[in-house]
Formats: sequence, C-alpha cells, structure tokens
Amino acid sequence: MERAAVKPQLLVVGGGPAGLTGAIAAAENGVDVLIVDEGLTLGGQLVKQTHKFFGHQGFFASKRGFEIADILKKKVKNLGVSVMLQTTLVGFYDDYAVAYDRENNKTIEIDYDYVLLATGASERFLVFKNNMLPGVYGAGAVQTLMNQYGVLPGEDFLIVGAGNIGLIVAYQIMQAGGNVRAIVEISNKVGGYEVHVNKVKRMGVPILLRHTIVEAIGKERVKGAVIAQVDENYRIIEETKREIVVDTICLAVGLQPSVELANQLKTELVYIPELGGYVPKRDENMRTTVENVFVAGDLAAIEEATSAMAEGYIAGYTIAQDITKKDLSKEIEKYKEELADLRRGPFGEKIRKGLKKMGIIMPEGGYRRERQEDFGPVGKLRAVMECHQNIPCNPCEAVCPTDAIDMGGNINGIPHINYEKCVGCAMCVMKCPGLAIFMVQEFDEYSVVGIPYEFEPLPEKGQKVILMDRDGKEVGEGVVHKIMKNKKEKTHVVFVAMERGLEKTVRHFRLPTPEEEEIVCRCEEVTKKDVERAIEMGFTDFEELRRYLRIGMGPCGGRTCRLLAAGIMARKLGKSIEEISPMTLRPPSIPLPFSAILRGDEK
Amino acid sequence: MKTYKICIIGGGIVGSSIAYHLAKFGEKNVAVFEKNYISSGATGRCGGGIRQQWSARMNVRLAMRSVKLFERFKEDTGFDIEYKQGGYLLMAYSDDEAARFEKNVKMQKEEGLEVEILSPKMVKERYPYINTEGIVLATFGPTDGHANPHLANFGYIFAAKRMGVDVYTHTEVEDIDVVNKKVMGIKTTAGYFKCETVVNAAGGWSREVGKMVGIEFPTTSYRHQVFVTEPLEDFFPFMAISFDGNFYMRQTKHGQFIMGMGDPNEKPGVNRDVSFHFEKEMAKKMVKIFPFLENTRIIRHWAGCYNMSPDAQPIIGCSKDVDGFCYAIGFSGHGFMLAPAVGEAIAQKILFGRSEEVEIDYLDMGRFKGKKFEVEGNVV
Amino acid sequence: MIKFAAGGMRLDRRIKSHPILEFEEKGYVTVYFEGIPIKAKEGETIASALIANGFDIFGFTEKGRPRGFFCAIGKCSSCLVVVDDVPNVRACITKVRDGMRVERQVGRGKPTWKEPQ
Repeated sequence: MERAAVKPQLLVVGGGPAGLTGAIAAAENGVDVLIVDEGLTLGGQLVKQTHKFFGHQGFFASKRGFEIADILKKKVKNLGVSVMLQTTLVGFYDDYAVAYDRENNKTIEIDYDYVLLATGASERFLVFKNNMLPGVYGAGAVQTLMNQYGVLPGEDFLIVGAGNIGLIVAYQIMQAGGNVRAIVEISNKVGGYEVHVNKVKRMGVPILLRHTIVEAIGKERVKGAVIAQVDENYRIIEETKREIVVDTICLAVGLQPSVELANQLKTELVYIPELGGYVPKRDENMRTTVENVFVAGDLAAIEEATSAMAEGYIAGYTIAQDITKKDLSKEIEKYKEELADLRRGPFGEKIRKGLKKMGIIMPEGGYRRERQEDFGPVGKLRAVMECHQNIPCNPCEAVCPTDAIDMGGNINGIPHINYEKCVGCAMCVMKCPGLAIFMVQEFDEYSVVGIPYEFEPLPEKGQKVILMDRDGKEVGEGVVHKIMKNKKEKTHVVFVAMERGLEKTVRHFRLPTPEEEEIVCRCEEVTKKDVERAIEMGFTDFEELRRYLRIGMGPCGGRTCRLLAAGIMARKLGKSIEEISPMTLRPPSIPLPFSAILRGDEK
Repeated sequence: MKTYKICIIGGGIVGSSIAYHLAKFGEKNVAVFEKNYISSGATGRCGGGIRQQWSARMNVRLAMRSVKLFERFKEDTGFDIEYKQGGYLLMAYSDDEAARFEKNVKMQKEEGLEVEILSPKMVKERYPYINTEGIVLATFGPTDGHANPHLANFGYIFAAKRMGVDVYTHTEVEDIDVVNKKVMGIKTTAGYFKCETVVNAAGGWSREVGKMVGIEFPTTSYRHQVFVTEPLEDFFPFMAISFDGNFYMRQTKHGQFIMGMGDPNEKPGVNRDVSFHFEKEMAKKMVKIFPFLENTRIIRHWAGCYNMSPDAQPIIGCSKDVDGFCYAIGFSGHGFMLAPAVGEAIAQKILFGRSEEVEIDYLDMGRFKGKKFEVEGNVV
Repeated sequence: MIKFAAGGMRLDRRIKSHPILEFEEKGYVTVYFEGIPIKAKEGETIASALIANGFDIFGFTEKGRPRGFFCAIGKCSSCLVVVDDVPNVRACITKVRDGMRVERQVGRGKPTWKEPQ
C-alpha cells in the first residue's frame, strides 16, 4: 500500500465495511481519500466472517463476509485510494491529527478537510470468578484466530451470550472442527436471529436460557467452567451451579462503540442503550454535531455489516457532495432506502427506538408477516421454508429460476413458495444465508430430506448417518441418498433417506464417531453394538458369540470383556448370568515369551 | 412328532457343510443335531489350514474341489471367513521326506495342482526370516491357504438355516432307531424325530454314533495341542509345515501366530487338557526355525482331537448294511479343509445316488476289508 | 523451568482443512518462545503462532496470575510479551519475523538499552 498523502481531503479512520464504502463513495466522485487502519489488512470484521450475509440480493446478500471484503478492497485499490495499514489514529490534537505507524514505529501528522470515523466497536468484558485465565477469549477474537489465522484455540467451547455473534461463532467453531458444549444466555430469550439459533440447535448444542457463567476453572489455563441459572433479577441460584468440562470460554456479551476519537473531536456523545451505549449524535446523513466530522458503522450504532456499508455510502456521498458541490442526492436516497428496509422488521425495533431518541424516524412494517402453513404436495421433490422471522433478506427469491419464491413485496417479508412452480432444483437451499430451506420428497417406502451442509467431511453416498430433529435430538438412522456438491457456494445439499414420516422432523444429521463407541473387548476393539448385533443375528450361545466376535481371544485373556459380554447377553436374552456359560480359561494366564521357556529349559 | 427326511449328527464343519449342500440341492427337510454349541468340537480347535498338497490322490482331489468352494464361500453364504490363499510351504528335513515330496509333487501336478519345488537357498531368498538350516528341500503351493474355521462353521449353519434347515444345539442324540436294518428315526434329548436318513458327522464321537446302529468304525480320537501368540504386524502369508519335522504354523488375519505339532506318545481318547511339555517342545523347535518368535509371547493354549482313521484318509459313504445310514468321519486332522467338497459329495450321493464333482467311492468303509490301503503321509 | 501448555504435550492447533476456507501451507519461519523454536507462518501474529503451537500463557501479571490472549485487536493489553528484549509488545497485533525471540513478560517490563560505545 502507498505511503501517506498527509493532506487528504477525506480522512477515513477505520477500513472496515463502513470505512471502505465511505471511501469508495467519495473517491468515485473525485475526492482525495486516505484510509488509516490498524489491522494487517483492510476489511475490518468482514475478513473473518465465513457465514453468508443477509439483506438485499443486489447488496451483497448471500455473500460470505470475506468475499465482500475482497470486493470492497479491490474497488478501493482501483479507485486509487491511499491506505495506511498497521497504523492507529492516536489522536486529534488541537493542531494535527496524528497517526502511529506501528510497523515502522513512527508518527505521522495528518491535515484533512473532512473526517469519517468508522472505528467500529470493541468487545465487552464480563465479570466472573477467575475471568482473566488464559483460555477466556472474546468471541470475536476466537473468530479472528480461526478464520483469519487458521488456528483453533481449543477443543471444547463454552459460549457466553446468545446474540448473533455468540450463535455465529458457535457454528463457525464447529465448522473448524471444535465442539461447542453449551451456549449460556442470561436473559430469557435469545437475542440472535432464529435461523442462527436453529442452525446451532439442530446440531445438538444446548442453549441454556437464564444461565450465566459463574467461574472459570483452572490454574494456568481453562479446564472447565461453573455455570448456574439466574432468577428474574439476574441473581445466581446457588443450587443450580454445575461444572462443565471445556477448555475455552468465549465471551459474546455485547459490543460497545469505540467513541474515543469522536470524543477527542468534541462531537456530542449521547448515551442510548438501544444503540450500544455512548454514541456520537448525528443526523440522517451521518453528520455529527461537528460539521466536517461524520460517523458510520458500529461506531454510530451496534448493528450489522450491511447497515454499516449503507451508512458508509450515505456518509461518503454526503461528504463528496459537500466537497465537489455535485448533486449526489439520488445516490444518498438509494442507500437511505436500503437502510430503511434493513431496519423495518422486528430486529430493527431496537435501532428505530434508539434513533428516535436522536430525532431520526425510521419506518417500520410494510411487509408480510404470515407464515406459509402449506407443506406442499406429498410425493413431489420440493423446497420447504423454515424461515419464520421477519429479517431483511431475499437471496432465495432472487435465485429461484422459476420465480416460485416471493417475499410479498418487501425483503423483510416471510418467504412463501408456490409449489406449482417449484421444480426442486435446490438452488435456494444453497443460497439461503440462514440455511433455513430444506428439500423434501416422500416415496412409498421411505422419504428423502435434502439438508444444507457446510461441514467436513462430506459423507458418501450409501453412508449410514444418525438423524437429528430441530432440537438436535437423535431420532433414528438414515442413509445418504445423494449429494449435491456446490464448490462455489460451499453450501452442499445432502439428501438423506429415512423412514417415511420422519421427513417432517429431521433437519440435520451427523456421522457416527469412534468416540461414542462403547468398547467391550479392548484387545479386539469389539463394541457393545457389535455384541448386541451378533446376538440379534442368532449367536445366543456365549461360546459361539466369543468365536464369532473374538471376544477374549486377545492378550488379556478375557479379563476385561468376559463379564461385560456375558452381562450384555444376559440382559438381551432375559437370562441370568448364571445360565450363561463362563468360557474355558486356558493357560498361560499371562503372555509367556518363548525366550523364557527356552531359558527355563536350559540345564 | 416332527419328521425329517435327513438328520445329521454333528454341527461341526462337516455336518454343517452337508446340511448346507443338501438344502442348496433342494432338500430342506433336514435337521442338524449338535450336542454342544456350534464350533465346540474339532472345528473350533483346529489350525485353520486349507492345503491341497497331499500324498494320497483322493485327498488331493477333495482338497482341490474344496478350494474351489472356499473361493466362493463368501458369495455362497454371505459370510467372510478371512480366507487367504498365501500358500503352503512344506519343508523336508530328511532325504527320505525329500524323496516323498518329489513323488507327491509329480502326482499333484497330474491332478492339475499348481506346485513348485524349492531348494533351501530359494527358501532363504524368498523368506529371509526362516532359518533354513537342515532343510533338504521344500515345496510351495500358492493356491493353498488358510481361513477362520469358526466363521466357516457359522457361515454354513446360518446359510442352511436361511434355506429352511432346522439346527438343534445343546441337543444330544441318544440312540438311532433301526428296524429291519432300516433307519426309522432318532432319539434325542429334544425328543424323538422320524427320519429316513441319518448322517454320522460326529467327529470325535464318530465311533460311539456308529455303535448306535451296530457299525464298528475304525476311528480313534487323539489329542492335538495348539497355541496362539500375541499379534504381530502382517508379514507371514503362508502356512509353514513339516511332517518329519512335525510342526505347522501360520499367521492369522489378526496377526497372531497359531502353531502346533503331533505327539507320538499321545494316548487315544478325547482329551482337551494342555501340557507344558508341549510348550517346551514347540519353543525349542520353532524358535530355531523362526527366530523372530523368541521375543514373541504365547497367550492361549488349547487342545482338540484328530479323529484318526487307519490310513489318515476320511471315511465317507453310505452303509450297505443299514439302509439310510451315511457317514463322513475320520478326517484325521484335515476335516476343515475337506469339508466343502465332502459336504457337497455326500449330499449328492444321498440325493442323487452318486457324487458329481469328486468320486468318493474309494473312501467308503469297505476299503478296510481288504487291509491293503494307501496311508496318507502328509499329516502332522 | 519451561512450562508447557496444559497436559505437557506439544500441540498443533492449526486447522488442517475447513469446509469454507482454504489455508495455504506456505512459508513457515522460526520464532523462539522461551528458547524453544516453534513454527510460525509468515504474516501471522505472535499470538496466533503461540496459540497454534499450544502455548496459551503469554505472561504473568504483577500478582502472579497467568494471562494470555483475549481481544485479538490490540485493545485489552492482556497479551503483552517481550520481543527481542523489548517488553510490552502486543502479541495479537505484531507480526512474526524469522528468528524473533519471544519471552513471557512477568509483571512489568524490564528496561533495556544499548550500552553507549
């Protein structure tokens, strides 16, 4: 990246989604822009987001965060915007703005006409016993490690907080190969989107509402945690305290806008909890109480990357309008409408309430709220929607090749599907950012459910899998019928065949793992299932069972397995162990080396 | 009272093979009576070798036919019996034995068997882990091999059951009902069953069953001991065997070495106890020939019985004196490897009057009347 | 006395394969942590290299508490380490360099200076 133009017309502090779009909007119109960013690369939080974004299909929806970052970075480069990386804007002094270049360890003085603060937010900390222990990390920090640096910092995780960040990080931890043992949420409902909750719930991750973390266990590193239920006043109920074995604790307890620089610039800060705490007061065009200071993104209000980008565009175009005197009201209006749509639904309520306190009114409603009750014609291969919340999102509608899906006129609407038009192509399943669409087809003897799957390893056709319902409960066994691999989207569809009737409940599956096998014979690695299956096959005589499975034929001579196997047989056949023959025990009773026999025989 | 067409006494590999083949050829009204559990007799105690390199022509023929059937075993019954055709290496330690081997190889080749003669140098080259000191000559048959006798026994039993055969375990046959020299039925601990034909496949108890119809079979049981080691990595594909040298050894699919030898001082009778003397003798002999055994450990030692006939060849046929009484006994330590062909042959004889694949008339009891018979020499 | 990560085992926490992301097996450099050579990827941060190699304790507080990684963006000052004798370096936002020497910082940093020639 080029070195400083130390007198830019527009100084953008923060190269995340808001800063990048602000820079693009201004640079497109000829403004000389400098972006100053602390990180090793541009993109801010986008770089580590592996999940697909919601919003308008035309506005980056269904693209993964890091893909959006790449698009924006390229645009910025092509527009000739100056960029300083690993550089922190340390202060707006009364004479200069000063940046600290950490790589070269020197300060840089900057003189600017306009400044766009897009400094984002930082993670909140949480008070509980032993909370400084290594292994207690911010959820965003874990995301950075996993998705940016490819390092999984632990194996068994506890997530504290069930907002979108906690839910998304839980899912991403599992994609990276970790286990999420539980998500605890202190309030009585999850704060995140239902589709994010469902993704995680159907994988069997317990979401414990009205629960919090009491203590991190360990002396040098996290070995476990103590969690407990809380009452209506958020006080811990002592008797409910229990220990859970984890090696990493992720705190996803909220973000707070990074208002330090806004404060230094003497913009007015107001305390609005709905927007995240202290936020700079600003108008509809993102201008603060100081005329040449604008804000955008999480700094302005804790929201989403899509709203951050919209706000960035609005700020950038407004600044460009100021500087060049061009009329950019059309562009500004476009993004204001985008923003309004993003905030119309129930999840926008908090933001709308907060903005109202600043005198900014955002529209609400104007979208379809009714769910589609129709499950579709039995026997036809078709898509089934399980997107039941009003969230601003429409990639399914946009991608359907036969226009079978519609949102009812506004992207916040609940999607409905026209089963006469649906051809069962599963494109919507692969595009849905919430993984909330499934394929279903009923046959005579069995049914098939197509499940969106973003994990490794992908199962193989014919492989046995364990079926799970929406709550992650195991409801039976199924067989992989077909796999639709999508190398571009990386959301594959796995079609699983199952008992007729289960197609209404099965929404996930897992592959059986070796860890869950219950070993009876250690020497020959014979499992309890093997024993039970053999008995079911007809091996009802203990001696026959032994010979078939090789129980007791290893070096331990049956010491570990004999009683266990006999017990299993007794239980299965309804006999008592006395009725089961104990097998003949033969010498040598411990393994005897030939060399010992030879030496013993020496005269 | 249930009626069967054919009752088989003995649920070992021979009895179950006969039942399977009868059902396969269309006769499902068959019952098998096993006085203990399946694979409790010699079948469940044997070394599992499947060899075609015999000195008696009949044995070679039956063995070669058996190998063809073993090759299809999984396809036919659905049971994988861990069949491996890694060959048999026969080692001769005396000039006499070497000369016999050469004669045998000539006959085996006439029968169509693939077999080669190896010098001690060739043996050492191919199998560097063998101490070839004392070996005069060796023969190698690449289509010989070994399998898991338990699984083969279960395989035939399950397949027979699927085809409609009744199998009674823990059921002892107490007497055979013969009226006017004709078999009418059998008396068992599960009751009396009417039947037309009874097959004696009682292994170590073949003589006792013969007595039930007044036939004196010249079979005697002798104990043979076997032991097995802890598993080692897979490297030994064949069965090594010597007759004058008196040993056999192979590595199973599970990596364990199973080995045994014959004791010339063994007293007749069914005996399943084990002696430490056996371990000492084996240790002395085997560690010398297979030095890698020195640091290997024995983990289990058991015994079973060879049902010996006077010429170490099986006694198979149908009685001319008692109508409806057939027998497949006296396998002299190679019942497992001949069972498929024998089961097929005797099933054919019972149902169609003659065997189709291998001529078994010679193996009838009648040959002992002449007192001039060919003794099988390749027995450990 | 060098302390290893919990369990005394050297771990490799690098994600080998991922359903969405691709991680290149490109250029590794050697960083010395408490004298132990560890494999670090070019372009990654010290914190990432330490955690990848199973080292979670980056230092100790004045009161003796073990401390390590927390926020990942240079804001919380939990991850301070001593790099080439220079203390108070934020491991989570400092890139690795081949041959870099990293030590745990115990309590406050020790002053270092070059002796005047």
